[in-house]
Amino acid sequence: MASLAAKGISKVFEDGFQALTDIDLVVEPGEFVTLLGPSGCGKTTLLKTLAGFYDATTGTIEIGGTDVTAAPPEKRDTAMCFQSYALFPHLTVAENIDFGPRQAGVPKAERRDRLEGLLRQVDLEAHRDKLPNRLSGGQQQRVALARALAMRPAVVLFDEPLSNLDAKLREQVRREIRALQKEIGFTAIYVTHDQSEALAMSDRVVVMQGGRIDQVGRPEEIYARPETAFVADFIGAANLVPFEDMGGGRVKTPLGDLRAAVPPAGNATFICWRPEDVELVEAGAASENVIRGVVRDRAYQGAHTELHVATGDADLGLQRLHVAGAAPAEGAEVAFRLGADQIRFVRGALT
Amino acid sequence: MVSLSDTAPVASRRPRRPAFRRFTISNVLIAILLLVCVIWLVVPFGMAVLWSLLDPSVRWEYPDVLPPALSFARWIEVWNTTSLPMALRNSYILAPTVAVTTLILASPTAYAFARYDFPGKGAAQVLTLLPLVIPGFVLAIFFSALIFSLGIYSRFLSILLAHSVLFLPYAIRLMTVAFSNVRLDLVDAARDLGASPWARFRVAYWPALAPGILASLIIVFIQSIEEFAVAFVVGAPNFTTIPSILYSYLGYNFVRPNAAVVSLVLVIPNVLLMLGLERLLKSANPAQTGVKG
Ligand SMILES: Nc1ncnc2c1ncn2[C@@H]1O[C@H](COP(=O)(O)OP(=O)(O)O)[C@@H](O)[C@H]1O
Ligand SMILES: [Mg+2]
Repeated sequence: MASLAAKGISKVFEDGFQALTDIDLVVEPGEFVTLLGPSGCGKTTLLKTLAGFYDATTGTIEIGGTDVTAAPPEKRDTAMCFQSYALFPHLTVAENIDFGPRQAGVPKAERRDRLEGLLRQVDLEAHRDKLPNRLSGGQQQRVALARALAMRPAVVLFDEPLSNLDAKLREQVRREIRALQKEIGFTAIYVTHDQSEALAMSDRVVVMQGGRIDQVGRPEEIYARPETAFVADFIGAANLVPFEDMGGGRVKTPLGDLRAAVPPAGNATFICWRPEDVELVEAGAASENVIRGVVRDRAYQGAHTELHVATGDADLGLQRLHVAGAAPAEGAEVAFRLGADQIRFVRGALT
Repeated sequence: MVSLSDTAPVASRRPRRPAFRRFTISNVLIAILLLVCVIWLVVPFGMAVLWSLLDPSVRWEYPDVLPPALSFARWIEVWNTTSLPMALRNSYILAPTVAVTTLILASPTAYAFARYDFPGKGAAQVLTLLPLVIPGFVLAIFFSALIFSLGIYSRFLSILLAHSVLFLPYAIRLMTVAFSNVRLDLVDAARDLGASPWARFRVAYWPALAPGILASLIIVFIQSIEEFAVAFVVGAPNFTTIPSILYSYLGYNFVRPNAAVVSLVLVIPNVLLMLGLERLLKSANPAQTGVKG
């Protein structure tokens, strides 16, 4: 039985704005799923609809096998970690964590056990009697998580929980959250606009755009086999080039004629390849899928050097290449080969 | 005064700092502010105290800097010969009632101003400030006519109504700010954690509202205690308040020491309340002190 199942969810706000369209999402128990997409794509709206703060305009939501489509937040077996943390400022750390169980009338002994256990798990025993504003951002984040977990919810909903932390702390806290999730085994739905966060943390990533789900898959799948131009572009870096299908995997592109291992589907609009998928070859090499160009720009990145290469076609933007080891200088002529199995086809338009 | 204690440790930590650094704009402004405070508050207040304690047997005239003899005789005289005890009772029943009534009347409007956007909101907000620009006597004269034609003959009720209208702008302003300080994420969090409506109010609304409620109560209370025009026009002669007695000392039977006594009776509780208000506001909201992480 799925932890959470949303079917055909759409959301139209009072002002007539349609923020969600046809959302289908099934989350298995213990799974960590991220909702990834640019700002304004409807992630928070979806999360709040799942939590019960918004009524879905159409569709049904089941949590733990029970239909909760019409239930208010307090009647759903979910707990939310807010972007702002939303800690009660005049309650201590311990009182904040104990708030939910206390409201629910959990027996005192049980409440104490939960509190002590959670304080230990989020490593805040030394701060139990402090007010939230005496804590660092990372500590406040952990209080918010502990407060949500104290409800023993079936599903924990996170809304960009790391966006108020600085970059370094963010990486640490995201590892803590993931470790805690594995230890306790709660089901998590996690909203972020940061693709590296999504790839690093998730069992599965749900990529959203304009209120719709573009693609759902494991991080590796999303990265290696993007299905739409938007996903390819949003996750990592991608070169997207329009093409004409010549049949049998042969395509005509502004970069020249190429052969792909797998022929394009009927609705494909671009070929897509990752900057690190190329191999530099001798200028004179005559083999298939070799593209020639001039290095316009070069940025050393440590592990690799990023090249921006201008190819024959003027309308086409610069192609991005990642080259390990010695890289050609600016202005140099280069030739590079794309492996036939590294050429993928994606559908949809570029935004 | 805060600035004085602030600058002291800085000066002692850096003894070789050149003296002209003390003449920063803010220091000069604070010095001017202190001076204004002294001229406008301390001097008149001190004079009132001295005048009220002037012994009836002596006169205080030029060139005496201080009164020649002091006693509580004026206080006793005023207490025994005027209706001050009655006026005190009236004022201190009226003002708290006005304060509470105004708060109750202001809250729904303030909530709407803070929470909702609606067409004409700007105009509505200006409209609620209107009572501030109407002179008290103008309001008093027409209000009394209105009240009698409505068949309300209770002086207390009439003044209560008039004061509530008069001081509504303060309460609406303060409560609008208070309601917009309520953090919606806290309301959502409390709900998500299964809080009952009462628990939600206590944990998400009350901490943000409390300072505004207190400020509104105290400010309206003080305004009502000190208001003369309406209280006099509508209330006199049956319903006396403290300012009515004070004003009766102006004009032909002007007795400065007695006026000083009544002034102090009027002002001292207000000053204490204001000081208490400041303390309450400081301690009311832990979220506004301390560091953000
Ligand atoms: N209460 C609301 N009323 C009308 N439109 C809203 C409301 N809340 C959000 N929106 C709109 O819905 C879209 C998605 O918002 P949101 O879910 O917050 O995006 P995200 O969290 O992905 O950044 C945005 O265009 C936003 O302006
Ligand atoms: Mg959001």
